[in-house]
Amino acid sequence: MGRRPTLSPLVAGAGSVLSWASLPGARRPLIHVENLRFSYPSASAPALDGLSLEVPTGSLYGLLGPNGSGKTTFLSLLSGILKPPSGAIQVDGMDLSLHLADVQARSALVPQELAFYPSLSVRENLEFFAGVGGLSGAEAASRVDEALRLAALLPNAGQRAERCSGGLKRRLNIAIGLLRRPRLLLLDEPTVGIDPQSRHFILQSVREIHAAGRTVVYTSHYMDEVQDLCDTVGVMDRGRLIAQGRMETLLAQGRGQSEGPVRNLEELFLRLTQTTLRD
Amino acid sequence: MGPLLYLVRKEWLLLRRDWHALGLLFLMPTAFILIMSLALQGLFAGHSRVTLSYTLLDGDKGPESVELAQSLAAHPEFRFEAAAGSETDLRAGVRAGKAQFLVLLPAGFGRSLGRGKGLEPVRLVAAPSVDPTLMKLFDATLREDAARVYVKVAMRALDRALGSSGSVGPNMDAMDSLVAAPEYEGSAPDSIPTSVQQNVPAWLIFAMFFIAIPLSNTWVQERAQGTYARLLSLGVPRWKLLLGKLLPYMSVNLVQAVLMLAVGLWLVPLLGGDALTLGDAPAALAVMVLAVSFAAVSYALLVANLARSTEQATLLTGVANLFFAVLGGIMVPRFVMPPALRALGGLSPMAWSLEGFLEVFLRHGGLAQVAPSALLLAGFGCLSLGVAAALFRRQQRG
Repeated sequence: MGRRPTLSPLVAGAGSVLSWASLPGARRPLIHVENLRFSYPSASAPALDGLSLEVPTGSLYGLLGPNGSGKTTFLSLLSGILKPPSGAIQVDGMDLSLHLADVQARSALVPQELAFYPSLSVRENLEFFAGVGGLSGAEAASRVDEALRLAALLPNAGQRAERCSGGLKRRLNIAIGLLRRPRLLLLDEPTVGIDPQSRHFILQSVREIHAAGRTVVYTSHYMDEVQDLCDTVGVMDRGRLIAQGRMETLLAQGRGQSEGPVRNLEELFLRLTQTTLRD
Repeated sequence: MGPLLYLVRKEWLLLRRDWHALGLLFLMPTAFILIMSLALQGLFAGHSRVTLSYTLLDGDKGPESVELAQSLAAHPEFRFEAAAGSETDLRAGVRAGKAQFLVLLPAGFGRSLGRGKGLEPVRLVAAPSVDPTLMKLFDATLREDAARVYVKVAMRALDRALGSSGSVGPNMDAMDSLVAAPEYEGSAPDSIPTSVQQNVPAWLIFAMFFIAIPLSNTWVQERAQGTYARLLSLGVPRWKLLLGKLLPYMSVNLVQAVLMLAVGLWLVPLLGGDALTLGDAPAALAVMVLAVSFAAVSYALLVANLARSTEQATLLTGVANLFFAVLGGIMVPRFVMPPALRALGGLSPMAWSLEGFLEVFLRHGGLAQVAPSALLLAGFGCLSLGVAAALFRRQQRG
């Protein structure tokens, strides 16, 4: 195994917290995570092992990592589905453990699974999630229409979700996340298993969502996608953050590596996380 | 409309579109009730209070034949089926199952009793399906009643001959006191149901507990599909997710109860079976339905939180339900089980459920009488729900 490169100054070690606010031109962090630990009951190794990171406000943050690196666990903790036994999470200056409802009202998780009801129609799914999300009456109806428009789902509104194509399903999955107009959107591998057209549409939508002033945390195994889309990137491995920085900075540092220059994000990622299989 | 109402509405929509689940929950128990009630009618008749149907052709129409007909009608175990026509017509009716017995009182029956010789015998005709024991029972009762009429006629003739006024001869009323009313050791006849009284509540309970299959499957699917994760991330508390399953599935149980009771009340008799009797305590019946439903749905939630896959959930609920049913007297009535098995069956929540229903249907029990069963079921439901909630909560912790 090759030696893991050091990408200072934006590389976080376990327990250390990078402060974007201290960097020139950096924005206030929307997410501030410190020394987060989490283990699943039957697992031999911790899913998160002292994770510390910051996501700048208004950034399109690409969160990368091999399978089992802890990305989904981190998003689950961030959205209040799991509770961390130790460590701290702040979102928009609020301690998650004290202001969970406020944080949840400002954020939306789009899980990597198609998290809706196959036997309900596209519109019924949106109406349901709008309702349980606290929207009602005319406001709920207008948000449902807005989400249908944003995800280009209007022609399929009455179609049962189970009869939709893979791309439509992915768009519905994202549309549900947009219902409450979240300030923070957590997208967990949103382009898995879809055709290039749907992928292009989703990536374009994410850009628009981001351009509208929302902070987006985006996880994916498609490195070209993340390189093209995200302005900031964090790389996780074995429950820790091993690199973090603005995309162009990290790539520039990668090009100057003593082991040989990296040409793109994928090469940098493999150099950071090694090529050993993880599952 | 709060989140809970949206959860309930969603569940109803999902169920309405799941034809397999609806078939399992409504058609299966209806079919079981019809088949088992009719198929086991004769078997249960041997264990329960006997109701024998008969029709009668009075070819004499004298006071003696009328008296005999009246004394037969006075037996609570016998049910007179009015029928008109000739002897041939009535025999055909018995063959067709319209009544189990035909009593033929011949012309001149009364006169021949008065003469004391050359008696015109009463004849008894039974349907081919009648059990020989029941035949003996009806025959013995008929003979006893005919003998009473004969003795009365004979005593009146003796009185007339002696010029006395009823002071001679045996006291007819004293005949009833010669043998005391029989008593049962242990199980009284009222506690043994008829086929329909056993099968309607039994298969209703089975169907109510079978709700565990669709419920646990949808729960496991929602967990695997990430919808629960999404709902939790929207701030929907776990207790609302549990309640969002409990309430709609309990309402499905209520619909099942109404439908199955209607089948017992109207459809089974229409097909030749006995009608279900509901007892006279609707409040006690409602309490039992709610208690069984709460226990069944809570148990379903427990299984849903134990299972890791839909296959596991289906297997677990299927096998557990069959054990509950076999031991709880759903498939084989507990009163025919040996004592050890009957005691073991007492651990099954389906046994508590059946006991409560039979208390209402059979023994005309009220709230106080169903309370033990209802409390056991409520306790089982609370325990199941508590463990289910703890397991669900545990998934949140590291």
